[in-house]
Amino acid sequence: MDNASAAMSVKPPTKPMLGATAQLTAQVPIIDGLRLKARAAAEAKAKVQPDNDTALVDAIRRGDAGSREALYHRFKRRVYALAVRIVGTVDAEEVAQEAFIRIFRGLTKFRGDAALATWIYRLAVNAALSHRSRRAAAAQPEAPDAVDAQAGAEPVRGDAVLRVRIERALARLPVGYRTVIVLHDVEGLEHEEVAQILGCHVGTSKSQLHKARARLREMLAADGITAAALENG
Amino acid sequence: MTACRAYTTERLSAFADGDLSAAEAAAVRAHAATCPDCTAALADLRALVSNTARLDAPEPPPTLWPSIAGALDKHERRGWFSIANWRPFAVGALAGAAVVLAIVALPALRGPRNGVPAGSPIAETAATSPAVADPLLHEAEAEFAEAAAAYERSIEKLRGLLARQEARWSPQERTRMAERLGRLDDAIARSRELARRTPGDSAGNEQLFAAYQQKIAFLAAAVHRGGEAGEWDKAGARTP
Repeated sequence: MDNASAAMSVKPPTKPMLGATAQLTAQVPIIDGLRLKARAAAEAKAKVQPDNDTALVDAIRRGDAGSREALYHRFKRRVYALAVRIVGTVDAEEVAQEAFIRIFRGLTKFRGDAALATWIYRLAVNAALSHRSRRAAAAQPEAPDAVDAQAGAEPVRGDAVLRVRIERALARLPVGYRTVIVLHDVEGLEHEEVAQILGCHVGTSKSQLHKARARLREMLAADGITAAALENG
Repeated sequence: MTACRAYTTERLSAFADGDLSAAEAAAVRAHAATCPDCTAALADLRALVSNTARLDAPEPPPTLWPSIAGALDKHERRGWFSIANWRPFAVGALAGAAVVLAIVALPALRGPRNGVPAGSPIAETAATSPAVADPLLHEAEAEFAEAAAAYERSIEKLRGLLARQEARWSPQERTRMAERLGRLDDAIARSRELARRTPGDSAGNEQLFAAYQQKIAFLAAAVHRGGEAGEWDKAGARTP
């Protein structure tokens, strides 16, 4: 089996792709692996139905305290994970709290121009980045990275080790790269959504993502993570 | 990371996501078909993205929601005292002041014009005549109606604030609240009927506005106490 044939052995797409990407996929199946796997994993994480979101927002606006807590439970892991990855574990709870307070106070003004999840991500990212700015202004040392603390907590084996290494490398990325890669590859958002959240052009989101992946791969290589280790993870 | 220098990892990532132009993509594809390094680099990227997508979302600490709920409650209670929250009631107060002015001024204005002291049998007869017959009386009635509407809006806003907290109450507490509000509503209805039967007469309207104010004071006290179960009707909250 030559190199090109080996590349063709990648799992076929599980759902149709659009436009230029679909065309490329048909011709060179190797590219399925990147986008589709990230998307499938993200969809498995995000099980929010838009209709449910609308009903939930309406109930909260009517003053239903139970619905407020339901919205928290629906988004808590995503908001908290985002906070952990942008500011680190030590400050993540404070940032997540600030993000949710902004979300609930701002919910009366939410007009549904964007999906609720996108709007929530935007507030969460803003809360995390504001926190970093305040910390930098106060010249406080950065909190230790989330995964350093997690890695020291218990021994990890196999792909768990690989994920810890990836988390560590992510935590060392410049915050701009880190935010884009977390939103796109970890959370599974589209570039249009990432651009809305970060207030940038779609093209900027794409170019930042590709630079971020390249930097991440360099860091992992420097940490001794081989291609084989990645593929076996 | 590739030994081949033809394309950077960044470029290969763009190719893999379909972000290159058709011409660039064709060139990369043609190159990759014959370059083991770039084919391996693409597979490497695929594995990296796949692993990144499978990173777990950590569970937030159990203290997160209580601290959020506490902060929101604190903010809402503080917000209760802000000027913005009191604006509707200020409108009601202004409307009430206008009514008081009308009540005070009406007999004085009517007296000299009719030559009949206010409160005399003749004045009472005049007061029961159709409101439209007297422009001044008509104006006063409009102000009464406006003030009543302002009180109703204030009550509605307070009911809305209290409704958010009612979920925490027991059925018995909800029943007790409903009974008290029912008595206040009865008082308002009786006063409204009296005012309707004596248009332009200060007594009926004063009683109506006193009933409105009593309901507002009761609701405001309940909301101020945060609507806590068993708290809204403790000493200090005015009850009907």
